[in-house]
Amino acid sequence: MLLDEAARVIRSKNAGPFTLTLDIFFSSEENFRTAQASALMTPEGVAEAYGVPVSTVKGVYWDERVMAAKVSLARWTSSADPFCSDMFGAHLHLPLSQSSL
Amino acid sequence: MTSPISDPDEVRILSFVNHIPPVAGIEEHIERAFSWGVDAIVAQGTGSDWGPYWLGSGLQVESDVARNVLPYVRAAKKHGVPFVFSFGIAGGNVHLEKCLGDLQRVCVAEGLDLDVAVIESELSSEYLAERIRVGAPVLPASDAPHLTPQLTEEDAHAAERIVALIGPEPVQEALHAGVDGVITGRALDIGLFMAVAMNRGISRAVAGHAAKLLECGGLALEPGDSANCMWARIDAESVEVRSPNPASRPTVAGLVSHGFYERSHPYAEENPGGTLDLSGVVYTELPDGGIRGTGAQWIDAPYTLLLEGATRVGYRSICQLGVRDPALLSQVRTWIGTAEDQTRARYADEFGDGRVQLSTRVFGLDAVLGELEPEKTVTGHEAAVVVDVVADEQALANQVGYYAFIRLFIGPYEGRKTTAGNAASPYMPVVIPVGEVFTFGIYHLLPLEDPVAPFPFTVRHFGASTASQEG
Repeated sequence: MLLDEAARVIRSKNAGPFTLTLDIFFSSEENFRTAQASALMTPEGVAEAYGVPVSTVKGVYWDERVMAAKVSLARWTSSADPFCSDMFGAHLHLPLSQSSL
Repeated sequence: MTSPISDPDEVRILSFVNHIPPVAGIEEHIERAFSWGVDAIVAQGTGSDWGPYWLGSGLQVESDVARNVLPYVRAAKKHGVPFVFSFGIAGGNVHLEKCLGDLQRVCVAEGLDLDVAVIESELSSEYLAERIRVGAPVLPASDAPHLTPQLTEEDAHAAERIVALIGPEPVQEALHAGVDGVITGRALDIGLFMAVAMNRGISRAVAGHAAKLLECGGLALEPGDSANCMWARIDAESVEVRSPNPASRPTVAGLVSHGFYERSHPYAEENPGGTLDLSGVVYTELPDGGIRGTGAQWIDAPYTLLLEGATRVGYRSICQLGVRDPALLSQVRTWIGTAEDQTRARYADEFGDGRVQLSTRVFGLDAVLGELEPEKTVTGHEAAVVVDVVADEQALANQVGYYAFIRLFIGPYEGRKTTAGNAASPYMPVVIPVGEVFTFGIYHLLPLEDPVAPFPFTVRHFGASTASQEG
């Protein structure tokens, strides 16, 4: 199952200009547990999906109350780069959302 | 209608976002909030989401802030409660003054008279250079590699404009001046709300928690929409929120989810003077549709202010070409690569000296994800090519952009039949001068012993009744 298929909301945004944060709200407890047990939803898995060093992944966090995950990583391209394609970081979820859990 | 008398140990805040136009019927929602009691109206209007461009250029989004705040200012004035706003997106003096000028015109047109404590949060290069010379080290707030590991006087002077995200303390001081409202430049969003609560003796922990829920107006409600307002009652232990718009409501899931929004950690956030820790927060649904939260903590730390400084890196020109011919779409990157190579050869000295940079995006191929894009060929029936040039002078960016355009427009490619021109040009001028390009050369933390002294307020009058006065 792709992460995209397991979640009802996957939102991508800057957290400050140099950090990207993804909020993932799962559509069922089963999908939430599947994601928690996955290799993708770990710092190593996120680093592989984005092709960045694992040291730049700031964390993968879980919230049981709302069956959500947060993934934060240093932006590999940001407003410090004059050719940054996504200033708000609003469309950078795809490498993760299109990966398999 | 007058606002119900407030308990001295609690404070009620109505929040919205001032650069977002309010929903239709907002006046009714505001009055509903006042029927519950409101002690202050607070709204943020600054942020760095857009990157450094607004800060560097002195421009801002065309959001008509003065008209957005009008229904709230009218209500605040009518009920005799103060408003607290941060204005101008980047929040430099030029941005603040633009908004204040618009506010003055609206006040005259609407017959409003306001005494407002104005707090500037722009710092001069000279002030910052002096602090760097004599003060504690100014260290980066991020590990972004382009930031100098310890801010230098050269960094301060290289910046086009520098602002500080002021904390609650200068606003607390200004609220004591007995004014109709306080308006700041760049400010910490939650600090505006914390100032109101802390002046009532509420702890930083509870004030900060309430502020986190309130800072985006109705965005934390269900459905979330920052064009709506949100109401909260804050006491020594807890924050209770309600929706003045009956079409939306607070939910536990919504409030918890909002805690995630645009921050890197779900529970902990570093702020001037400490970290707000929401990991122990518990929410309870109330019978009247409100939700109460308790359990926030504040861990003290040395006081630092985040500085944002925009440094110009050049001038941009762009050129867009539309491609529909299947023969060209199938080899679009090869065609572009040839044109780029020819451009770099023609301007070899300028590229060699680092005076110019060239990038060509292909919308329809990899413009969003770049090297992360798994599709390596155009799979749709058309694509947009955007030539993007950044140079140390606008004229050079224009020249390089035009040369690249010509090579793309007339350059041969394998199997070409389109010998009169290779692609469609939608815009004149074909090369569009976009203007200045900035980076955040400063994104550092300034240690401060006195969080108020650098940010004094000035009382200014808005409206027709008297001329503007300096207080």
